[in-house]
Amino acid sequence: MASRIGFMDVKSPVHQLHPLTKLWMLLTLNTSIILYQNGAFGLLVLSVLVLTFRLAKVSLARLTRKMRFILVFSILLFIVQVLVTTNGTVFLYLIPRIGQVGPALPVTDYGISRGVSIMLRFLVIVLSSMLFVATTDPTLLSYALTDIGIPYRYAFGLVVALRFLPLFDQENETVRMAQHSRGIYPEVGGLHKILRTIRYTFFPLLVSALMKAESLSLSMDGRGFGYQDTRTYLRRPTWRHRDTAVCFLMTMILAGVILAILGLLPQFLSV
Amino acid sequence: MLEARDVSFSYGGESTVLDSVSMTLERGELVLLTGPTGSGKSTLAKCLAGLIPHVIDGTLSGHLAVEDNDLDSMRISEIARRIALVQQDSEGQLCTLRVSDEVAFGPENFLIPENELAQKVTRSLEEVERPDLLDRATYQLSGGEKQRVAIASMLAFRPDYLILDEPTSSLDPAGTRRIRHVLSNLKSQGMGIICIEHRFERLQSIADRILHLTGDDIVPFSPPPEVGPLAITSSVEQDSDPLVRAESIAYSYGSRQAIQDITIEVDRREVVAIMGDNGSGKTTLLLLLAGLLSPHRGLVYLDSEAIESLPKTVVARKTAVVFQNPNHQIFETTVWREQTLGIDIFELQEEEALGRANKFLDLAGLADTRTRNPFSLSHGQKRRLNISSIMVHEPELLLLDEPFIGQDVEGRKFVQSVIHSTVSRGGSAVVVTHDSQFAAQFCDRLVFIDNGRILLDGMPADVMKQLGKLGRSEYVNRLGDV
Repeated sequence: MASRIGFMDVKSPVHQLHPLTKLWMLLTLNTSIILYQNGAFGLLVLSVLVLTFRLAKVSLARLTRKMRFILVFSILLFIVQVLVTTNGTVFLYLIPRIGQVGPALPVTDYGISRGVSIMLRFLVIVLSSMLFVATTDPTLLSYALTDIGIPYRYAFGLVVALRFLPLFDQENETVRMAQHSRGIYPEVGGLHKILRTIRYTFFPLLVSALMKAESLSLSMDGRGFGYQDTRTYLRRPTWRHRDTAVCFLMTMILAGVILAILGLLPQFLSV
Repeated sequence: MLEARDVSFSYGGESTVLDSVSMTLERGELVLLTGPTGSGKSTLAKCLAGLIPHVIDGTLSGHLAVEDNDLDSMRISEIARRIALVQQDSEGQLCTLRVSDEVAFGPENFLIPENELAQKVTRSLEEVERPDLLDRATYQLSGGEKQRVAIASMLAFRPDYLILDEPTSSLDPAGTRRIRHVLSNLKSQGMGIICIEHRFERLQSIADRILHLTGDDIVPFSPPPEVGPLAITSSVEQDSDPLVRAESIAYSYGSRQAIQDITIEVDRREVVAIMGDNGSGKTTLLLLLAGLLSPHRGLVYLDSEAIESLPKTVVARKTAVVFQNPNHQIFETTVWREQTLGIDIFELQEEEALGRANKFLDLAGLADTRTRNPFSLSHGQKRRLNISSIMVHEPELLLLDEPFIGQDVEGRKFVQSVIHSTVSRGGSAVVVTHDSQFAAQFCDRLVFIDNGRILLDGMPADVMKQLGKLGRSEYVNRLGDV
């Protein structure tokens, strides 16, 4: 279930960064990679990202199933890009000229570079989000959000949602077993039967969710949630010098990217 | 003093739940509140904790006060600071991801200074005798541990009064003993405590008073003579093939081994109780016997045939499982449609099946609720509906998970009569329970599970004797004449 939530509770330099620092890293990195469509830059960012996974002691190999899906999807993105982009210098035709037919489906240099760039951007966005989730304690994140002005009532919603997600997974499984024990199996055969199966799953889950929501709200009200506009915190993320340094660095990178796009960066500095 | 005077309540125009009920609770006093299912015990608890009418809507009249302050004129958070309610569903009342955060939740809201929080958290966990839970993830706790954390999270802000709704219902006997100890300590520290309990004998020894609530009256309670078991017709058919047999089965959830190498047979006409600590693998064993989970190793045979090779509907027809949470197994929109669901699915002979449907609904005391939405029934009623609805297709193997939780005396009788009727048809029943009285008086055999293995298996009286020797005397039935 821990893998369902995603947060891996280990000690690493990345885990120790302030949640807001990591949020800023995520935002600046993804903005840069979306704005600056440069293959070399993408590759550089991806390599740094993979190294950061190492540093954070988050093993990509342990996420085999997710990783396989992500890799297959990124390769598909590449292929589709190559196929739909027809301008640029043609390398070869996938379907050569045979008699009167063809040639068709040209592979161009521009298509390949676009494909690579899109694939890299996809990988960076997905992997950096995964790293963020794996290294950020959601409770500390939500408390940190209150520091930038989000009322704790709303920030706390994140914690509650994560608390109940694994629970609904379990409940769904129990309802399925209860159906099987009564001989109810998903049936193909007419809209009526499909609707019935959906209803038989939806009703018990909905009722159970509503009852959980009720006992949750009673329990929170019963412990003074909303007593005052502020509250105290047992655990708080601490802001260290390295957070300031990382945030500064990330802001510089974003600024550099913007300058590069505007063509204001000296040629020798651009990657 | 916490006081309710002439309190009446109804949920939005529906029939009255409480009718002019009065009671008081002093600090340093422990009161047990009993009463049949649906008599309004939980509703009274919510009134006393101020959640009615501050959070839950309905029509309330009468007077509720704490130390002569009218609850009506106080804010809910002010009431909460003095009166805490631990609800029945310990799962639904934990709202954070880590035990330390959960226990700190109340004090944080009440603006307790940050340098005092850690100490309050540790102390509260020590009071429930589980300081080791501090850094655990809340979603990985067992039922008993969740219960303990829920209590600790209330103790952390030092309420004057503590109300607990069936705190022992899903605990194993060892857990019940610990809760008894915890409550007795809190009482001696001057906390006023109300415990709602069906099985009052579990906490009787530390109670100052026992009150009996019937919805319109609340009276001092004197325990009735014990309900005797139905006649045991011990006619176990040991010569024929067993109805269900599991051969060295194992099952694990991820890396956690729930069942490790269990071999068990249940004969026809046999009633088997399965007991063991919370988290020992009892429910998993039940699901494996029902063919709802497939063992990772070993095989389960139903009537000498490998259960995995049988068509699923055949397995469903022969077996019947009743789960712990009734809401997960109610599918239809009226009680009657729920009761007769199996007729359509198993294509039963209609006239006979309808006869059985009527008979068992009547036995369950639900004949008047036919047209009601089953989800609107009380917890105990829902569980009786779960049981009565599976009796329509006359299953041979009954697999019941804690069927007595939330049942009053009448409900217990109903469950026992259902088991009796199955056995007399030549079927058998496997019942997961913490109820040693039931095991001793009603079962042919008692299987004790420990850490996913069978520790003891034999006649209930013998197994209990062994359990006593192994230092697990809390499992030994003291009430019945074993």
